[in-house]
Amino acid sequence: MRLFLFRHPGKFKSVRVVVFLVGTALVLASSCSTPPEAPTRNNADLRQVTDEAGRKVSVPATIERFISLAPNLTEIAYALGAGDRLVGNTTYCDYPEQAKTVQKVGDTLQPNVERILALRPQLILISTSSQLEAFTRQLQEHAIPVYVTDPHDLEGVFRSIQNLGQLLDRQAQAEQLVDKLRSRIAVVEDAVKNRKPVRVFYQLSAEPLYTAGRDAFVTDLIRRAGGLSVTADVPEAWPRYSEESVVAARPEAVILPAGGSMGAANADVASGLKKSPAVLNGRVFKINGDFLVRPGPRAVDGLEAIARAMHPEVFK
Amino acid sequence: MGRRAARRGISAARVTLRSAFVTCGLLLLLLLAAILLTSFLGSERLPARATMCALLSLGNSSCGLTSEQSAILLEIRLPRILLAAAVGASLAAAGASYQALLRNPLAEPYLLGISNAAAVGTMIALVFFGTLEWSRPLMAFIGALLATLVVYRLGQGRAGATPERLILAGVIVTTFLSSAIVFVTTLMDATRIRSFTFWLLGDLSGATTSLLMLAMFVAVVGTIVLTMNARSLNLLMLGERDAFDLGVEVTRVRLVVFVAASLLVGSSVASGGSVGYVGLVVPHLVRLSFGSDNRLTIPAAALAGALFVVVADTVARTIIAPRELPVGAITALIGAPLFVYLLKRR
Repeated sequence: MRLFLFRHPGKFKSVRVVVFLVGTALVLASSCSTPPEAPTRNNADLRQVTDEAGRKVSVPATIERFISLAPNLTEIAYALGAGDRLVGNTTYCDYPEQAKTVQKVGDTLQPNVERILALRPQLILISTSSQLEAFTRQLQEHAIPVYVTDPHDLEGVFRSIQNLGQLLDRQAQAEQLVDKLRSRIAVVEDAVKNRKPVRVFYQLSAEPLYTAGRDAFVTDLIRRAGGLSVTADVPEAWPRYSEESVVAARPEAVILPAGGSMGAANADVASGLKKSPAVLNGRVFKINGDFLVRPGPRAVDGLEAIARAMHPEVFK
Repeated sequence: MGRRAARRGISAARVTLRSAFVTCGLLLLLLLAAILLTSFLGSERLPARATMCALLSLGNSSCGLTSEQSAILLEIRLPRILLAAAVGASLAAAGASYQALLRNPLAEPYLLGISNAAAVGTMIALVFFGTLEWSRPLMAFIGALLATLVVYRLGQGRAGATPERLILAGVIVTTFLSSAIVFVTTLMDATRIRSFTFWLLGDLSGATTSLLMLAMFVAVVGTIVLTMNARSLNLLMLGERDAFDLGVEVTRVRLVVFVAASLLVGSSVASGGSVGYVGLVVPHLVRLSFGSDNRLTIPAAALAGALFVVVADTVARTIIAPRELPVGAITALIGAPLFVYLLKRR
């Protein structure tokens, strides 16, 4: 810089202008960085909670406006009777019917921050399954509390329901819902208790071949429904699976998540399954994918659907 | 052809017809050995003796394999290995001829955006004519040909083509088409996006029999056509004007090479996605080993490319079995460092 000034003394003035501009910009930026007060919040009714990712979050005691960034959380909110306070959700949030009319803030992977801020939410609900860790930090800079849920199995779903019940002041409804779901699960588990587990292949897509691995929510559902996913030990949630291994696995049943938001892309079984016992015995089951991949209340519908498919004889 | 033609060749290393045959014969033997050996490797372990017997009887006898095992070997593993060979041969032969024709050691289908263009063509075919299988290689070919012409035109400055200009043109085309790919994928639903991101990095699984047949046919015919034009390519490496003065029909040769190379890239991308760096790494290694006479470089690169992708895909499908990696990740892991090395050395 010095050398530069020495060679071109005439430039000195412009350097001063730049310094002035940068300084002004800094002052302006710092004055903007103090967050604007949220509409119905004062510090007195904030309370500290720990979310399911272990983060400490200060949330308003009463929440009148919140946004859900995952379809399973939207479903939980409606099931708890808090849907009328939902001011924004994602394009994937299509259940129940009312959820479709709520203002959309983008999809689960790319929510629109500007629209979220414009909706003045007091709380944003996020599911780790929508991979929004970086996004969470961005929202936090705007002083909007972000609550992260992390359900991996049915127990996790119940925990999320109870936690959302607390946040949205719907504890009684949450307990009721969990009790109801638990008793439905108990019926299923009781029915399949003494049945031999059916070896299942879960086909997420045929070309290329994707399945559900160890960390997928549906793997737990299949186990509880009296099945045994042949890919239950494969690392990851949604692994790219070898065509050879699927032939060798000889599954007795195949589950195709279809319908709902999964569309018709998964209409047929992979070519490697064509001669499997599952296909030869006509045991290929299309089950609404939204039941199987959304860790929400309808996961129990998925559990019942899998159990009925695996063990039709005990659900007559 | 033969000795007299060889003497007129411009390469430093003198290539005779016999030495070319010996080199290519050896590479062919190596390739066949690799195909045989990799047939024993996969996520599922097959009994070695029965596998050998089934391979040698070309599937006419089950040799004691169960029906699953023989399906794994003959319907999944072997077709995939053959596809890997076809894709590798196509990309390497195309790369070698692009490098000669464009007089640029860095010319490669992937770096010039030609693979990306073929990918866009394939995606458009999938979105609009999903049911017509032949629309995929056709659109991929059209995309590759268009990109070749655009890159060639952009690379041609007033002062003639310089390597830097051509690579810049390739970067422009590549980034433009990458955006186009992102745009098309956002229009698709989530399950299809997942399959595309995998396919874009090169995915040799799940090609149908007809696509495999097409890829193998194009690989062989394309390589032969390019080899037949290799002498003209040798002279073209001196510059288009000099080649013209030496009696090369520059326009015709350029057109034939562009079309043949685009066909090779198109058919390999339509069936295997964009496998990067094969067209760069393999021709350079071949030139380092056997000299830069295109009459040998092009067929040798095709055979070595087939060998390279067969090995790379075996790694991709076995290293984290039963999961799989995209083969393009493996070729790029080897190719990118070698590319940097070649760039430094230049």
